Amino acid sequence: MHAVDPAEPRVDSPFPVLLHDETELVRRAQAGDVAAFEPLYRHHVPRVYAVCLRLVADVRRAEEMTQTAFVQAWKSLHRFRGESAFSTWLHRLAVNAVLMEFRSLHRREAHVMGVAEPGTLETPTDSPPPGLRLDLERAIARLPAQARLVFVLHDMEGYTHEEIAKQMELQPGTTKAHLHRARQLLQEALR
Amino acid sequence: MNDDTELPEKLALQLRHLPSAIPPERDLWPEIRDRLEVPDLRPSRSVPLRGFWRYSLLAAAAAGVVGLSLVWRSFRGSDTATGWAVAVVSGSPQLDRQRLADQGTWRRGQWLETDSDSRARLAVGTIGEVNLEPNSRLRLLGTAAQDHRLRLERGTLRAFIWAPPRLFFVETPSATAVDLGCAYTLSVDDAGGGTLHVTSGYVALESGARRALIPAGLLCLTRPGKGPGTPFSQDAAPELRAALERFDFTAGGEVALEAVLRLAGSGDVVTLWHLLTRAPAPRRADVFERLARLHAPPAGVTREGILAADRAMLKLWAAELGLFGALSEE
Repeated sequence: MHAVDPAEPRVDSPFPVLLHDETELVRRAQAGDVAAFEPLYRHHVPRVYAVCLRLVADVRRAEEMTQTAFVQAWKSLHRFRGESAFSTWLHRLAVNAVLMEFRSLHRREAHVMGVAEPGTLETPTDSPPPGLRLDLERAIARLPAQARLVFVLHDMEGYTHEEIAKQMELQPGTTKAHLHRARQLLQEALR
Repeated sequence: MNDDTELPEKLALQLRHLPSAIPPERDLWPEIRDRLEVPDLRPSRSVPLRGFWRYSLLAAAAAGVVGLSLVWRSFRGSDTATGWAVAVVSGSPQLDRQRLADQGTWRRGQWLETDSDSRARLAVGTIGEVNLEPNSRLRLLGTAAQDHRLRLERGTLRAFIWAPPRLFFVETPSATAVDLGCAYTLSVDDAGGGTLHVTSGYVALESGARRALIPAGLLCLTRPGKGPGTPFSQDAAPELRAALERFDFTAGGEVALEAVLRLAGSGDVVTLWHLLTRAPAPRRADVFERLARLHAPPAGVTREGILAADRAMLKLWAAELGLFGALSEE
């Protein structure tokens, strides 16, 4: 009677975990329930990790940044009022964690090297991290660190130059230069 | 500097195809959990405490931290490699015919049984939770990290799983429920027939080469020797349900299919999508026409392709119907 079955029911989803009731889980986590925080983590970690990995292009550091973002989220949950989606709020925390680390390194480099824009001296990264399989992903990972940060934030995350410049403690003109360079390098890499 | 020029078209196109999510290569949760601070149990600053009371409260807070940690670890199952934590919800559930105390460890191969007055709750390793309802018999088959597996011989369980897809399986006498990130209720009757009701996410039912994909809000029946039937909406008319049951399990054939096509409405598109390949070949065109009237096929999907059971086209249309696409965004 049923000679052929439906197409294989494989589900391709950026979210490996669907949440039963995110609002309720957030409420319970805000009350200190760690058990409610775990499904929130499982649901959102692929997206958080993705943005961290693209920004830092290093698996270990991306893992650290992801952990930092979730720990920060746990500490700040009482401030989450549901005015934006929980995913948006979490995403912002992850970007902030990476940028905070960047600012710290930036200040240290500036102090040691005595240049205002130490990132301008950097060279492209040699080997992209595993897990980035697509050509474009690998090309992004090979970009110089600052150019990569600006490209990901501007062209993938939708930040403005003003926001990026403020977060990275750079001049807007510098972030524009980084973006221009990143796009050029990517186009060359993808030819 | 051409800093504000538009993103080059080719680059923009490729960016759009990058995945929005990349799972980490390892589970980061244990380290995150260890870094989480438990709720602040200290007294309010407006009530200054000194001496004995201050230290008493600090000691109580510390004890609370230790206590919560112990409760957490005991319930989540420190022995997830060979067994899961199980707790009594009500009555007197039995573990391998021994009355279960308040809590216990359920080991591979053991049967968990409830009578008409008892219920139990178990932690599925660290990936979810299952509630076993009265008059149920459940066996733990596998506790591997990539294969959490139960067998529901009879009765009802309610599962809430937050793991990645295809890590949690429930075998029954007539099909295996494969978790795709979901919450669901699964019942098995004395004859081995099953009823699956998905309340969140998706579940696949599989038996040999026969498969069904059931999204939230739909049910699916299973029968021994037949496998999963055709999923139907929880709001489907009784006449439609009856026709589907005849078509799936009692050789209702074309008469039953005719009734299904006549009764199916806009809430039954997932049912019709399954019938695109389940219907006898000469009737698939009728299924196509009915489904196309209710929900037009997307670009790239042709009548000829569907009638030839083209898998790519079937998936495209499924995505359009929300079968897969509902998962792609919040």
